[in-house]
Amino acid sequence: MISAERLLRLYPRAWRARYGEEFLSIVGDRALHVQQVIDIVSGAIDAWLSADVRTATAVGRLAPSGEGSMLKSLMICESTKLRFTTRDSLLSAAAMIGGTLIFSLVGIVLQREGWLVTGEILKGLAFPGSLMLSMPFWLMKGQPWKAQAAIVGISLALLTAAGYLATLI
Amino acid sequence: MTKNRDDLLAGLGRFSEPALYILISLADGPKHGYAMTQDIAEVAGQKLGPGTLYGAIARLEARKWIEPLPAEDRRRPYRLTAAGQRVLRHRLESLRAVARIGRARLAEG
Repeated sequence: MISAERLLRLYPRAWRARYGEEFLSIVGDRALHVQQVIDIVSGAIDAWLSADVRTATAVGRLAPSGEGSMLKSLMICESTKLRFTTRDSLLSAAAMIGGTLIFSLVGIVLQREGWLVTGEILKGLAFPGSLMLSMPFWLMKGQPWKAQAAIVGISLALLTAAGYLATLI
Repeated sequence: MTKNRDDLLAGLGRFSEPALYILISLADGPKHGYAMTQDIAEVAGQKLGPGTLYGAIARLEARKWIEPLPAEDRRRPYRLTAAGQRVLRHRLESLRAVARIGRARLAEG
């Protein structure tokens, strides 16, 4: 028989930290009915998907520990509605416009110098790469720099790989 | 303004009914989750599962219609906020109006 403690693991870490103890105190050690199991599993799905639940469980977690997933960091940032300053807006716009210009110009120059594939990849990266570079100033604001660096770095690497594959087709 | 409060409660989707029961349960004072489920079963004849209960509690907390109190043992009591009282009062008035119309139509038929 599935225990309540095992089902509790289906819920997000923040949810468990916030409601886990009281949840277990309600369910107790009794064997769960099928209806209860379905209710708990659907509650877990809701806990992962609902912005309201994230807002309620994000209290006190504005500075997530390093062991938290990067995705959850992003979700907390979004759900807690951090305030963005004019400086943040200008920096993200500069990263977008500057990045697009640099990627495009370097791509064009490299292509003229005979580096056709690399130039094509850089031109393809112009918009998505610039968007990723601007994210630390808005979507990822307030998150640990390691998480930001990992998300931006991995995304750029994946975009580069996708761009390279596209040149082979 | 009046309509907005109804919309807010209806905006809880499938949690709107459990949320209403929770607000009613907390109307006479703070309760923890287990006491709420017992009270709701007694008053409304509905046995809320833990997934539904905490889905509704989280939504009510996010809207600041209820707030947690310091935990007692493993249980954390919740209480109705002033905003929650207003929403509940208005919802109950709406339901009373609907019930009155329903009764009147039954009497006519």
